[in-house]
Amino acid sequence: MQNTVSHQKGMAEHEPGKKRKLIGDRGNYFLDRIQGEAGVNISACFQCERCTNACPVSHFMDIKPHQAIRYIQLGWREDLLKSSTIWVCLSCEMCTTYCPNEVDVAETINHLRNMAAHSSITPKEKSLAVFHQTFLEVLRKSGKVNEFRLMNAYYLKPDIFQEKLKNGTLKEELLLGLTLLRKGRLKIFTPRSRAIKDIQKAYHQARGEIG
Amino acid sequence: MKISFYPGCSLEGMAKDYFHAIDAVFEAMDIDLVEIEDWSCCGATAAHSLSEAMSVILPARNLAAAEKMGLDIVAPCANCFNRLRYSQQIIKKKVFDIPWQVTGDIQVHDMTRFLAESSMIKLIKERVLKPLNGLKVVCYYGCQMVRPPKITGYTDYENPLTLDRIAAAAGAEVIDWSYKSTCCGASIGIARKEIGESLTMRILQKAQQAGAEAIVVSCPLCQSNLDIIQKDRPDRRTPIFYFAELLRLSFIAHGDPKWFKMHFTDPVPLLKAKGLL
Repeated sequence: MQNTVSHQKGMAEHEPGKKRKLIGDRGNYFLDRIQGEAGVNISACFQCERCTNACPVSHFMDIKPHQAIRYIQLGWREDLLKSSTIWVCLSCEMCTTYCPNEVDVAETINHLRNMAAHSSITPKEKSLAVFHQTFLEVLRKSGKVNEFRLMNAYYLKPDIFQEKLKNGTLKEELLLGLTLLRKGRLKIFTPRSRAIKDIQKAYHQARGEIG
Repeated sequence: MKISFYPGCSLEGMAKDYFHAIDAVFEAMDIDLVEIEDWSCCGATAAHSLSEAMSVILPARNLAAAEKMGLDIVAPCANCFNRLRYSQQIIKKKVFDIPWQVTGDIQVHDMTRFLAESSMIKLIKERVLKPLNGLKVVCYYGCQMVRPPKITGYTDYENPLTLDRIAAAAGAEVIDWSYKSTCCGASIGIARKEIGESLTMRILQKAQQAGAEAIVVSCPLCQSNLDIIQKDRPDRRTPIFYFAELLRLSFIAHGDPKWFKMHFTDPVPLLKAKGLL
């Protein structure tokens, strides 16, 4: 919560020594690119903030959904890829559903998340990014996602393990895992899909790797 | 009647009880559920977040398998349903190469809408042996089943009624409330606990305020979010049922308490108090 407050303050008062951002110096390149790739009419946004008001997690975002759309219009690419917004977004599709101008806000934010995943920028919400990454790794290995394998792989990621160790939630998480096992909700073995090879191939192709 | 069934990963693990309940319900209704052979994961939010191409390609494999069988798909998991429908729409736009033979022309149903058709409701009512009289429930739909309407095809996305109809057909007393499709936080609770908790707790509070004794859901992730959060909160005892569990209970004269052993918030005391177990 403190983060949000200090951020808003930073937005209102110009920090000395920091170069003021110009509006309109970047042309339409980024806007055109996102509109083309995501197939979303971002120019149609008139900042009514209905998306932000509908969003259940806007409180946890540094750039609010309506601001994100404006940032795209202004071409402020790095600010967006560095934001927590793109990782906090739940894809609950409230914004898209209620936009009066049919701007697909959720799909736009999802597209930014795609861009961030393929850039050199360190995600602001690292644990969320790592979770998605781990999910895909498990999926690629067995064609299906077994929750036990997923949670194991996720907690064993160095960043996550250290974070859990530091904030002391590791024990609690382990106990929860044991209870889940006892209740039969986590299955250690589940059948794999035969599609692993096909999935690997499609994955490499999607990443632009030939052969 | 025959329809292809795409269970999704959760139904093999966290929601195994949902799987068993679905099996029992469809058997009782004489509907042949044909599990898609060698199905694979739909990619869920992760594939969508990190690779748009994969979010289309992964569900396409299952669509292709169902098309080969010539059967429409019914999906019990809200996110699987959403991803399959999304994939169909993008396949038709032909912007990604799909390694499988697929047209995207078959119908993908979410299980609740499939069962909420008037002919199915009639069938359910015929099968009900022991109506769940006096059980006060609210129905919770979550996001992915109803939104965005252009993908899910729900026209009543603000006040969806499919689960309400099913629960009412089983004899439960369904209470109207305003949080039917408010987000429960999905998988965000794993990485950012406080965000997940704030969203899930609100839904539980509102359900209690509405006077519900239990919540009826269809999504495995909604179920585990709403259920597991109550584990260290003795003041909150609102069991979270899959709609299929309620149907199964109403189709049979004597239910088995073992069906509910995977629940964190034990529904057995409530069901016993109502004379339903």
